[in-house]
Amino acid sequence: MTLTSYKYADTIHRCFRCGYCKFPTNWADVNNCPAYARFRMETYSCGGRLWLIRAWLSNEIEWTDHLAKIMYTCTACKNCEEKCPLRFNVDIMNMITAVKGEMVERGLIPSQVKDFLENIQRQGNPYGKARAKRGEWTEGIEIPKYKGQDFLYYVGCVGSYDTRAQETARTLGKVLTKAGVSFGVLGGEENCDGNEVNALGEETLFEMMAEENVTQFKELGVQKIVTLSPHSYNTFKNDYPLHDGNFEVFHYTQALRDLIQGERLDVSRGLNTRVAYHDPCFLGRWNGEYDAPRMILNAIPGIELVELEKNRAGALCCGGGGGNFYTDFLGGSESSPARIRAREAYDTGANILAVACPNCMTMLEDAVKAEGLEDKIDVKDISEIVVEATGIA
Amino acid sequence: MAEILVVAEHRQQKLADITLQMLSKGSQLADQSGAELLAVVIGKNVDIYAQELARWADRVIIFKKDELEGSLAEPSQMMLSSIIKQRRPKLVLIGHSSFGMDLAPSLAIELGVPVITDCIDVTIVSDNITVTRSIYNGKLNAVYTFVPSETVIVTGRVGEFEVKERNLRGQIEEIDYTMQENIEYKKFEGYIEQKIGIVDITQADIVVSIGRGIKEKENIEIAQELAELLGGVVACSRPIVDYGWLPSEYQVGLSGKTVTPKLYLALGISGAFQHVVGLKGSNMVIAINKDPRAPIFNIADYGVVDDIYKVVPALIQKIRELKD
Amino acid sequence: MDVVVCIKRVPDTADVVEIDASGNDIETDGLAFKINDWDEYALEAAVQLTEKQGGSIIAITVGPKEWDDVLRRALAIGADRAIRIDQDMVTADCYAVAKVLEALIRNLSYDLVLFGAQSEDFGSAQLGVMVAELLGIPHASLVVSLQVDQTTARIKRELEAGTLEAYAVELPALLTIQTGINQPRYISMAGIKRAMSKELQVISLSDLDLTQETLSPTVMLEKLELPPKDKKAELISGSPEESAEQLARILQNSGIF
Repeated sequence: MTLTSYKYADTIHRCFRCGYCKFPTNWADVNNCPAYARFRMETYSCGGRLWLIRAWLSNEIEWTDHLAKIMYTCTACKNCEEKCPLRFNVDIMNMITAVKGEMVERGLIPSQVKDFLENIQRQGNPYGKARAKRGEWTEGIEIPKYKGQDFLYYVGCVGSYDTRAQETARTLGKVLTKAGVSFGVLGGEENCDGNEVNALGEETLFEMMAEENVTQFKELGVQKIVTLSPHSYNTFKNDYPLHDGNFEVFHYTQALRDLIQGERLDVSRGLNTRVAYHDPCFLGRWNGEYDAPRMILNAIPGIELVELEKNRAGALCCGGGGGNFYTDFLGGSESSPARIRAREAYDTGANILAVACPNCMTMLEDAVKAEGLEDKIDVKDISEIVVEATGIA
Repeated sequence: MAEILVVAEHRQQKLADITLQMLSKGSQLADQSGAELLAVVIGKNVDIYAQELARWADRVIIFKKDELEGSLAEPSQMMLSSIIKQRRPKLVLIGHSSFGMDLAPSLAIELGVPVITDCIDVTIVSDNITVTRSIYNGKLNAVYTFVPSETVIVTGRVGEFEVKERNLRGQIEEIDYTMQENIEYKKFEGYIEQKIGIVDITQADIVVSIGRGIKEKENIEIAQELAELLGGVVACSRPIVDYGWLPSEYQVGLSGKTVTPKLYLALGISGAFQHVVGLKGSNMVIAINKDPRAPIFNIADYGVVDDIYKVVPALIQKIRELKD
Repeated sequence: MDVVVCIKRVPDTADVVEIDASGNDIETDGLAFKINDWDEYALEAAVQLTEKQGGSIIAITVGPKEWDDVLRRALAIGADRAIRIDQDMVTADCYAVAKVLEALIRNLSYDLVLFGAQSEDFGSAQLGVMVAELLGIPHASLVVSLQVDQTTARIKRELEAGTLEAYAVELPALLTIQTGINQPRYISMAGIKRAMSKELQVISLSDLDLTQETLSPTVMLEKLELPPKDKKAELISGSPEESAEQLARILQNSGIF
């Protein structure tokens, strides 16, 4: 099957094959592209994919299942964009998303991606779990329904359905309540934000989802949104304005930082422990927010914050983006990026690996277990660390 | 006297298991309702079944013709239609097998009689026939009765009815029937047998079987690791074959193989009946599945409601430890 | 190669299914609906045929307005036009539905009629074969392989234990399609939107010269009930490590290793 139309046909050839896309900012190793780290073959790096796209476009290769899989191992982490020295670097990740879009249009996608998208179409979440159960994460705690409060606390699919992430969602709710924030949740009425759908190339579905959410938010009078997940943060902040959705969007770490600095949240009880912080791609590289989570951790007495060797713009992706927390194309090996990251965290001597994203949470917690490190290091969300430092029950 | 007619299915010189199940059920119903049991068998060389069928039924009708090959739905339909119109049995029992699926609905239409397929129970109370079907993938049962009709057709689910041997001395009758037409419109072109590959899962003592919960082809490795460790084989449910991740010779179930191992370990398998029917003969069934409502837990001896990717690696580890 | 494909809209069986207050239907509130799995394979088979040999595909269904969505999906998959017979027959017996479908199909021009082998909800596996008999055309069920030329469909159908049987069936014929025959393609939202411009015709029973009487039932659904749990697995609880430990001991004690 030939690739007859492609948005970047006139610039796809510009990849110089320098290989920079695989490096972190500090040149510490050559394994900072999560798919390349997993498979160690050029095809799985950004440059490799670009050349495959070019070959497909010029009919040198045909579409195969394998080609589709290679494209979908991209977790949309943006390490490549960060490192590519050429001027077209602002487009390189979008080039991969665009070819995914072409595959989506022709129905030529891996079955797991098909399931992911069909589950969202049918049940509004990638797991295919019943839509009616979306609000169940709120059971057992007092959490206000959104009725025009200052903030909409938006949870997302992982926080709503994944058992571990649900704990985080509840914990953050408690913290916000304790800090006296005026907020509410949508619970069962919340709909998927669509960030992954967009990253998977299903543009039209994403547009529909964005428009529906924008309509819903506007009807409810939403002006400010605080998100659990950086994925939601990213899409509300950067994509939704293109669909008439102009809201003030915060990731919860930004909110907690403000609350701590504004003395509305008292973390003086402290926590004596060594913490390594893993920068989530959609908060860090995608949106330049590296400081807020660190300010929170530094503000808590007793916490010794250590940096992972590859951090900030050079952080190694946990491998959960681009739908991979569900499709799991990068799993099944000790070279899985999440497992590499778990080992890196352990090497710092940290007791806690702190995360600020429910996808990172599920990927890294599973990785720590797979590495047999669950007695040595705990994966905790920043909200969970804050809750301990504030003594909230 | 009222008659219950059982259509006998056969292949490769053997009566099908489902036929013995239907004969058992038919006998029970015949006894309960004071009816006679009639077995009908059609095909090439079917006289070899006569004696066996005569142990089950009060009457056996054989229709033998050399040209009859393949699943025989069409010639059976023609012949049964004639017999049924003549004898007017109150109940016709057919297995809900591949043969039965091709035959029963069509036969019902030709005769203008009601039909209910894939039943898991059939009862007759004062001449009223009631059947039960399993619907919504095993989540609910539906109970049906028939609008009054001289004859009704019921097809029975494979593996649902217990086989209870009988020792009658039925009357055997071989009849000749001129087929109204040659069935040129559907020509049998042969059987395609399953290739016996390197693995014949039906011979294994230990089977580690994977279902949709495995999520990804590469993850089959973990099942293979466990199978090797226990000296067993890997098998799977249908979706794995549909996805093309394992060849069909590894499939356990209705359209796959029947296995009778000492241990059947079901990983990420929901337990749909089409699969379960292939493992009922297992000595011990252990199921690991995230979904507490998965029907597999209704037939397993032991169950773990958890993520297979968390339990299986730990299990492999523990087994290694205990082995040392 | 003109193909008619009959499809059904069913609840997502991954959802919990509850019996409603009447006792002989299910609670549909909160359920997600979709096209019957088997029908997707049938549609994909039809599209692959016409992609190779040209021709057209008509997708048909019997159902109320909500069922338009599965027809739209069929159009997005590649059907050229769709027809919905506007009548809620979810609880009707197969014979009644077969009569309705036959009344429509007999007036269409076709070489092949395709059905899914069974439906995810009731799973009777009757409808297609009944329609074939009513139409007076040859049929074959559980088709796992299909090759068609001008006059004949060469099929393989599934028997038990992995064996298949091959037939040459004269066209026009009706086939019921089994899963695994192909890989149904993903239908993007853009594809569904594009298909909105394709024709979806709605007709009534009276358009087919049928009345409610023609649909009188031959079987009666008395009630729905929960299946009895015939065996309860002994559930092992605890952390994955604890469960693994217990399982390993059970295996060891049973002499598995």
